[in-house]
Amino acid sequence: MTRTVSRRALLGLGAAVPAAGLLAACGGSGGGGRTVQFVGPELPKTFAPVIAGFERAHPGVTVKYTSVPFDRVNDVLQARLGAKDAEVDVFTVDPPRVSALAARGFLKDLTSYRGEVDRAVLPGQADPSYFRSRLWTVPIWSSTQFLYYNTDLLAKAGITPPGRGPADRLTWERVVELGRKAQKSGAEYGLLLEQTDRYYQLQPLPASLGGGSGIDPHDELTPAVTNDAWVRAMRWYGRIFATGVAPRGVSSDQMNAIFSGGHAAFMVGGPWNIGTLSAQKKFRWGIAPHPYFEGGSPVTPTDSWGWGVNPYGANAGLGLDFVRYAALTKAGSLATIRNNPIIPANAAAFPAYKTVLAEQGGESSAGVGALMEYELTRTAIHRPRTIGYIQFEDIMNKAFADIRNGADPARRLRSAAAALRSAWEQLR
Amino acid sequence: MTTPSVPRRRLGRTVGTVAAAVIGIAFAFPLLWVLTSSLRPGNDIFSYLSPLSIGSFLPIHADPASYGALVHSDFGRAILNSIVVSLVTVVFGLLFSAMAAFGLSAIKFRGQGVLFGIVVLSFLIPFDAISIPLADLFRDVNLQNTYLGLILPGIGNGLAIFLMRQFFLAIPTEIVEAARMDGLGWWGVFTRIYLPLSKPTLVGAGMTLFLFQWQAYMWPLLIGTEPSKQLAPIALANMRGQFTVDFGQVFAGSLVLTVIPLVLILVFQRHYTQSLASTGTKD
Amino acid sequence: MTTVTKTKETVAPQRKAKRPLWMRLRQSPAAAALLFLAPGLLFLVVLRIAPAVSAVASSLFHYSLLRDTTSFVGFDNYATLFRDSDFHQAVLVTLLFNVIINPLQIAVSLALAVLLNQKLAGVRFWRALVFLPIAVPPAVSAVVWDVAFQPNGLINAFLRVFGLPAQPFLTSGSQALWSIMILCSWIGVGYWMMFLISGLNDIPTSLYEASTLDGAGAWKRFWYITFPMLRRPLAFVLVADTVSNFLVFAPVQILTNGGPENATNLAMFDIYRRAFTLGNMNLAQAEVVLLMLVTLVVVAVQFRLLRSKE
Repeated sequence: MTRTVSRRALLGLGAAVPAAGLLAACGGSGGGGRTVQFVGPELPKTFAPVIAGFERAHPGVTVKYTSVPFDRVNDVLQARLGAKDAEVDVFTVDPPRVSALAARGFLKDLTSYRGEVDRAVLPGQADPSYFRSRLWTVPIWSSTQFLYYNTDLLAKAGITPPGRGPADRLTWERVVELGRKAQKSGAEYGLLLEQTDRYYQLQPLPASLGGGSGIDPHDELTPAVTNDAWVRAMRWYGRIFATGVAPRGVSSDQMNAIFSGGHAAFMVGGPWNIGTLSAQKKFRWGIAPHPYFEGGSPVTPTDSWGWGVNPYGANAGLGLDFVRYAALTKAGSLATIRNNPIIPANAAAFPAYKTVLAEQGGESSAGVGALMEYELTRTAIHRPRTIGYIQFEDIMNKAFADIRNGADPARRLRSAAAALRSAWEQLR
Repeated sequence: MTTPSVPRRRLGRTVGTVAAAVIGIAFAFPLLWVLTSSLRPGNDIFSYLSPLSIGSFLPIHADPASYGALVHSDFGRAILNSIVVSLVTVVFGLLFSAMAAFGLSAIKFRGQGVLFGIVVLSFLIPFDAISIPLADLFRDVNLQNTYLGLILPGIGNGLAIFLMRQFFLAIPTEIVEAARMDGLGWWGVFTRIYLPLSKPTLVGAGMTLFLFQWQAYMWPLLIGTEPSKQLAPIALANMRGQFTVDFGQVFAGSLVLTVIPLVLILVFQRHYTQSLASTGTKD
Repeated sequence: MTTVTKTKETVAPQRKAKRPLWMRLRQSPAAAALLFLAPGLLFLVVLRIAPAVSAVASSLFHYSLLRDTTSFVGFDNYATLFRDSDFHQAVLVTLLFNVIINPLQIAVSLALAVLLNQKLAGVRFWRALVFLPIAVPPAVSAVVWDVAFQPNGLINAFLRVFGLPAQPFLTSGSQALWSIMILCSWIGVGYWMMFLISGLNDIPTSLYEASTLDGAGAWKRFWYITFPMLRRPLAFVLVADTVSNFLVFAPVQILTNGGPENATNLAMFDIYRRAFTLGNMNLAQAEVVLLMLVTLVVVAVQFRLLRSKE
């Protein structure tokens, strides 16, 4: 999942948003004085442009956005949807949760729009929105991860910065080695992983070693987290903290500040960091491809929030119009990222985003668009599709935290597998 | 051994008074801090905390802006909801509890013991413990996000029935018999004799019903999720769970939520404490 | 429900007489009593007893999200709970919380009751001050103390004045549970003190006068007169306090979500999490039943304690 750090507006995109003319196409049920209730984890500022755009196109309709902090949004939404709360029309959905939410009846079936959706979004982006061959959400954003480096810290340690092309991809082993070297010449930390202990960030570690997603590909409710690849990957994860290459006890939302404060040689993080980093005028940094394990294959995390419609929402119909505007029109899609530089899932909006991203980061991120496209099409892996994802994420994230704090990886993974088996037994 | 000398006793009293004062101030102190902080808009309170000084706790340079902002937020609606829900609960809860207590005390009939057993059993089951199954039942009949759904659980209050039955039992049966001889119906006995005699108990039971609803958290969290049906404690907790928390408003909301029951408790203190204390000390 | 039908049955035969309602009611005391009782009892049965019964029933079933079917499983859910490490943690945390907070709250309430029942200068005022926080709803206590517990909050500001290092409070696995105890006790102690003061006032002063003549010291008077005479209110407070502390929920849900590292995963929150975050209602209901049993046992103990002396 992508936690977006939005500080600097993608001003360039503002110009790309055309007037309301195009929007009439997605109208339909727009009536007088009705309010679409929208719930999500972003700052209100992030959605202000897309809401303004939609309201312009639908006179008399307002969208009321309620922001719930990232850590709580899934719980809050489940509690509200379980109460058939009519004051939620549209809500954000983490793609791997689609199965679990759809199975519980919390999502309106959007299958009749599948043609429209499949045409409008980037290839593969709508895959996680399907459950039992029906469409339940519409992807709004996507994500990938890069290896950011601190140019000055590398120079001080006499390290040549890695290149930007897929062929220049470093191995994790090499990144740690270079990070250590940088630490010896003054860097506080060698490597930061932006989303500490979160499955989104860590899935590529065992996957790169061929360990799979952690779930048996033939049975969505059977864990597979104890194979050698998983143990090796987690041993590596535990070791970077044990040896002080990565900091223990720093929360995810502080990572960007630590990196841009010049305290770490490398950071693995999403493209949303480009805006914040380039805003630091004196900070010199660069981008390289997401690392992989020696002897393994390159894989990268992907996906971001999709939007779903509450079947019990008082204005679910209007809500659907809002979703279609934001996801399926170029203008709407660009409006969702104007204050928040994250990858749009909309194919028509993608080129404009790429250009702006490259311009925004200047020299530091030149060519990042090509890298991003390469990763999204060649190395990106979705998180697994299972009705047990909520339990999976909960149990695995706890295991990651314990391993980070020094638990024995093999033993901790075995106990996580046992916890998963008993939790999933409950869903059968 | 002899009784302590007069000076020693005086010393003991001085120490006691100082201790009582220190403890009293310590308990009330957080409330003073809430009041002061509610008059510091936004996140100003934190700047008043470093370094700590007398000014950190006294409402000097007071700015009531947070209260104004509160009126226009979801909290304004929620506090109205809380008032409505609590008042309706008190009115109907008192009526039904008093009637039930009357049926269990003034009129003698066979099987009374069994029915009283149900009352006792029902208040031995703590409400919070059964609120999740009850919410499940309420959702099955679409009572979620309705005022009725929020109010109903407060009305059935075994403790209120119990309190009033205690009091009614002390009313001499001769009065009832005399009134019945004079041709007064049971309803007349209830409204003209029992209710007027039991005002203090009604106040105590009413406070019990009011505070139950006013302080409830779990139930409104489960059944009033829509912003238009949220009760104030939920809205307050949501305010704290925002991305950018406006602490001035959090404190203003806290103060409003505290002052309303506080005034009632202070006004009715005698009745309230007496009737409640009787549950603990008498059978 | 049964009371309503009974009422109708007893009233119905008399309807033939075609007398007005009040006349009929005058004739049959039981019918009148039942009419008075009906609304109140109906509420109690539907709102208290029915959900308890439904929790027991629901705890015996299992819903399969995979197949969308519900099946009877007997006591499997209980067996699952007893194997579940989160449940173990919840039991441990709940017990730890109660073993500490109950004696602590009661000892403090008792000490304060005795102190504030003395004839001291301005004692009514000081007593009122201790009393004030009972008006504070638990959710309010939670958000207020949350700000006090912040890294740059009130308590750390005090610690700084005394040259002590700042503490993490709610974000530390070893301090979070204690922090929750503090915010619960702030609103609880004055409440329980009220019962004890009323109990103290019921003790005949003649007992003290006699003992003073006998030359008993203050401590002896407390131990041999006050304490035994306070037995009933103390037993009540002990039990009522324990029941309410077994059910602490708002501070956990608002402040810690059971964390850090499950350190504040009190039973009520564990149930809530199972029911809504994990969406396993049947398992949650089994835990509700266990919690109800525990509280009933606590209350049963109360009745024993109360009866044993009389």
